[in-house]
Amino acid sequence: MAELTGREGGLDALAPIPASTQLLAVVWLRWRIFLNNTFRKRPKSNRQIIGLAFAILLRIVVWSMLGLIVVGPVVGSGYFAWTAITEGHPQSLTSLLLGIALLWQFVSVNGISISVAIQSFDPASLIRFPLRFGRYFVLRSLLGVLTPSTIVGCLALLAAAVGIGAADPSLALPALAAMAIYALMNIYLTRMIGAWMERWLANRRFREIFSMIMALFAASIQFMNMRRFSGHAHGARSTLLLSALHSSGSYLDWLPPSFAAQSILLANHPFAAFAQLAALLASTAVFAAVFAIRLRKQFHGEYLSEGVSRRVPVQRAPRVKIPVLEAAAQTAPTSAGTIFSPTVAVCMRKDWIILRSSGTQLIGMLTPLLFVVIFSMNRAISSSSRYFLPAAIAYTLLGVLGSLYNVFGADGRGAQLYLLAPIRMRDVVVAKNLTSLAMIAVEVCVAWTIICALAQPPIAVSVQISTALWSVFLVAINLAIGTLRSIQAPRYFVPGRARQPRAGTPTNRTSSLLVLAVLFGSMLLQIPVGMASSFFDEPWLPAFVFAPLAVAAVLGYVLMLWNVERLILAHRDVFAEELCKV
Amino acid sequence: MTIPAIDSTALTRRFGDFTAVDNVNLRVDAGQFFGFLGPNGAGKSTTIKMLTGLLAPTSGGIRILGEDLQANSAEIKRQIGVVPEGMALFGRLTADEYLQFVGRMYGLDRATTLNRTRELLEFMQLDDEQKKLITDFSHGMQKKLALAAAVIHGPKVLFLDEPFEGVDAVAAGTLKSMLQRMIARGATIFLTSHVLEIVERLCTHIAIIHRGQLVAQGSLDKLRAGVAHGGIVEGAEKSSLEEIFLKIVGTAREGSPAVTAPEQELSWLS
Repeated sequence: MAELTGREGGLDALAPIPASTQLLAVVWLRWRIFLNNTFRKRPKSNRQIIGLAFAILLRIVVWSMLGLIVVGPVVGSGYFAWTAITEGHPQSLTSLLLGIALLWQFVSVNGISISVAIQSFDPASLIRFPLRFGRYFVLRSLLGVLTPSTIVGCLALLAAAVGIGAADPSLALPALAAMAIYALMNIYLTRMIGAWMERWLANRRFREIFSMIMALFAASIQFMNMRRFSGHAHGARSTLLLSALHSSGSYLDWLPPSFAAQSILLANHPFAAFAQLAALLASTAVFAAVFAIRLRKQFHGEYLSEGVSRRVPVQRAPRVKIPVLEAAAQTAPTSAGTIFSPTVAVCMRKDWIILRSSGTQLIGMLTPLLFVVIFSMNRAISSSSRYFLPAAIAYTLLGVLGSLYNVFGADGRGAQLYLLAPIRMRDVVVAKNLTSLAMIAVEVCVAWTIICALAQPPIAVSVQISTALWSVFLVAINLAIGTLRSIQAPRYFVPGRARQPRAGTPTNRTSSLLVLAVLFGSMLLQIPVGMASSFFDEPWLPAFVFAPLAVAAVLGYVLMLWNVERLILAHRDVFAEELCKV
Repeated sequence: MTIPAIDSTALTRRFGDFTAVDNVNLRVDAGQFFGFLGPNGAGKSTTIKMLTGLLAPTSGGIRILGEDLQANSAEIKRQIGVVPEGMALFGRLTADEYLQFVGRMYGLDRATTLNRTRELLEFMQLDDEQKKLITDFSHGMQKKLALAAAVIHGPKVLFLDEPFEGVDAVAAGTLKSMLQRMIARGATIFLTSHVLEIVERLCTHIAIIHRGQLVAQGSLDKLRAGVAHGGIVEGAEKSSLEEIFLKIVGTAREGSPAVTAPEQELSWLS
C-alpha cells in the first residue's frame, strides 16, 4: 500500500497531471471497451454459434444498407456544389449547407447514435476523477463524436469542398477551411442541443410534451405534404422549397450556412471573406459556450433525476387487526367469479400500473393513428381498397408488435419473483400477452373505425373479413415467435426512456429484424392472394386462404404456451444473466 | 491547530420539495476513523456524494483538507478516494484494465500504475480473475475492486459507502486491517455502514443523521457517556453502539416511541 505523505492535515502540493495522460487514459478506456464488446464473448454451444453467425450476417446487411444511405447525400453534396459553381448559381451553396445542417441535426436529435450502443460507460461518470473543467469539456466534446450523423455530415461537407475545388481550383483551399469550421460548428450545435435536451427530457412532463410535439410535427408535415401535392408532380414540391428559401434569404444571410458559403465565394475579397469566416467561428464559439454552460453544471454535480423529489413523507396510520378483512384476504386468491386466474389478474394489474405511468408510450400509440387519419383522407392512397386496409393495419401494428418480443424486459430484476413464487410461468406469459393484446386490440379497433369512416370508396365486407383473419394470423404468429424470443433472448429496458441501457445489442436488433420480416412477409402474402382473388373474380378467396392460416398461427401460439414452463426452465441462466444483473 | 480533513458548514441538499440533507455541520479531524450512521433514506449517501464533489449542495460549504471543494475540486479529488454507492465501475473492462485506467486518471506514471495494480489485485485476491469482465464479477468481488480503485493513488481521505456489503468474512477481515493500517499512517476514513458492530470496532468518532438532520456527533466514548447533538441520551453510558443508535434515532422520531417492532403486527407469521 502506498505511503501517505505531506504536511499534517493539509492538501499536498502535487505536480500537475499532464493533460495528455488523462486524455490518453480515456482514449485507452474506450478502445478496451470496444475490444471487449467486440471480441470477448466466445460462443460455447451450437445455438450460440448460430446466433453469432446470424448477428454477424445481420451487421453486414445493416452496415451495407447504411453505407448505401451514406453514399446518396455525400455524392449529392459534391455534385450539387460542383454544378453550383460551374453553372453560375453559387448562391445556392447556402441552401446546400443549410440542408446538410438541418439533416445533421434532425438525425442527431432522433438519437441514431453509435455511442448509444457502447455499454457500461457514461461520460458523466468521469467527474469523480481529478479532471479540470477544460479537460472535461474536451473529453465530452470528443466522446461519442463518431455518430452516423457526424460521419455523414463531415463526408458531405468534404465532398462539397471537393466539388467546389474541382469546379474552380482557386476556391479549393477556402472551401476546405470553411467546411472544416462549418463541420465543427455543426458538431457543437449537435452537442449543445443534445446536452440541453438531456436536461429538459429529465423532466417527465417535458418528455411527454416533447413526444407529443414531435408526433404532431411529423403528422402535420405529412398532412401538408399530402394535401398540397397529392397527385401532382415533384416539381411543385421543389417550387415550394425554393420559394421558402427565397423568402427567407435575407434571414439566412445572418446564419452560419451563409457565413460559410460567403467566405468561399468572396475568396477574391480577402477582407470580406475573412469577416464571414470570423462570423462562422463566432457562431461556433457561441454554440460551444452554451454547451459548456450545461457541462459546467454537470461537472459540479447537478442532479437531473426526478426520483427523489417525488418522494413525499407518508404518515403511517396505526394498523388495527380487522378479523373480517383478514378472513376475506385469506380467501381472495381462490375466489370464484373472476375471468382470469389470480396470477393472471395480478400480473395484468401490475403491467397496467406501469403502462399507465408511461405517458410517452401512450403518446407513441397515438402517432400511427394520426397517420392513418391522413392516409384515409387521401383518395390517391385509400382508393386501392383491396390493399389499403391491410397495409394501414400493418402500419398501425408496426409500433406495438415489438413489445411482444421482450415481455420480461421491463421487469429487470423483478423477473426473479416469477421464478421464485409458487405460480405457473404460463400464467405470467398469458397475463403479459393479454396486456399487449388489449393494447393492440384498442389500437387496431380505433384505426379500423377511422379507415371505415374516412376511406373512399368504402371498404368491402369481404376485404374486412379477410383482413380481420389476416390480422389474427399476423398477431398470433408474432405472439408465438415473440414469446419464444422473450424467453430465449430477454433484454432489460426502462419503459419510456429514450436512451436504453442495452439498446444496441445484437439481441435487440435480431428481434427488431424478426418483427419487420414477419410483418413484411405477411404483407407480401397479400399480393398473390389479392391477385388470385381478382383473377378468379372471387372476393371471398382471401378469407378462405387466411382463415386456416389464422387457425394454424393460433394453434402455434397455444403450443408455445404449453411449452412455456419447460422453455423457461431451460433458460433460467439467461434470465439471471440478462435481466437480474442490471 | 490542525486543519480538519472534512469540514462542512450548513450543508443542505433539496430535491424539489424534499430536503434530503438539512443544515449539516460535520467536522472530521485528520487521522480519524469516522463512522457516519443513519437509517435507510436518512441522507448518508447524499452527504457522501456532496463531500466528494459528485453532487452539488443546494447551500452550505465544504472544505476538504482545508481547501474549498468547489474552488479546488481537481486538487482535492487527487487526494481523496471514494467507494461510491453503486460503485461506478466500468463493467466492460477487466479488473486489471480498470485499475490501470484509474491509476492513469489520477496521474500515476505507467510503471507505478502497473506495480500497484498487480499488488492490489493480489491483495484483494482478484489476481485469479484476470480475463473476467467486471460485469461478470460477484457483488463482493466488485466491492473489493471498487476499494482497490479508491486507494490506488494513496489518498489522504477515504470515503466508503457501505464498503463491507456483500464481502465475505475473510476478505472483510483483510480490508479492515488494511483500513486500520491506513489510519495508522495518518489517513482519514469516512465510512457509512449499517453493520453497527463493524463501525463500533473500527471507528473512533461517530455522527448520526436522521431525516436529513445531524442528530448526534462525537467520539464513541462521548456518545456512550450520553452526550448527543443537542441533548442527553439517558442511560447510554454502558450501551453498545446499536443501543445508542436505536435510542437516538427513536428519540428523534416525532411523537413515536423508540424503534421497536410492534408485536401486534405480522401476527400471522409463524
